[in-house]
Amino acid sequence: MKPYAYLLAGWLFPGLGHLLQKKFWRGAIFLLAILAMMGMGLAMGGKIYPLYLEKPQTVLEIVTNLFKKENPLTLLAFFADLGNLLIYALSRFLSFGLGALERATFEFGTAYVAGAGLLNYLIALDAFDVARGKKK
Amino acid sequence: MIIYAFFVSVVLAPIRRNEPKSQIKYGLSLFLIMVIGGLAFGWLMFLFAR
Repeated sequence: MKPYAYLLAGWLFPGLGHLLQKKFWRGAIFLLAILAMMGMGLAMGGKIYPLYLEKPQTVLEIVTNLFKKENPLTLLAFFADLGNLLIYALSRFLSFGLGALERATFEFGTAYVAGAGLLNYLIALDAFDVARGKKK
Repeated sequence: MIIYAFFVSVVLAPIRRNEPKSQIKYGLSLFLIMVIGGLAFGWLMFLFAR
């Protein structure tokens, strides 16, 4: 149970899975790197892609609508952005990361935000491996 | 691109290696591969530009 808890903690917030296991240097490096990447991406006008859903009624409708209504690339961006779960959730409630399409740095910013999310998946998996004793 | 490569290297090096010396070596080589590779690929794409 505990390794999965560290995996979830790491997914929720960058470096948290390592910090909870007293791997302070690793956790701090991961935390600073991911937050810096995310911050730079948002400062450049990058977008945190939401999942657009029309009022679905069943799980099957959600799944079928997903591939009909969503642009596949924005769907991938959504899954990448979901890598930083807490930041993604905050962006929905606090309305940041809406994207500034008119800016020349929009694409760069979006790439930074997506990259931060994808790297956090790896960081969360690393926290899981550390908890299982597969890594020091 | 260089800043992006830096952050990716900083994150991947501690994940892939355990000892500090090998982490630095791995991170540095990863950074150089990404930067040089990116520049090389950019020039390659230039051949197909109008």
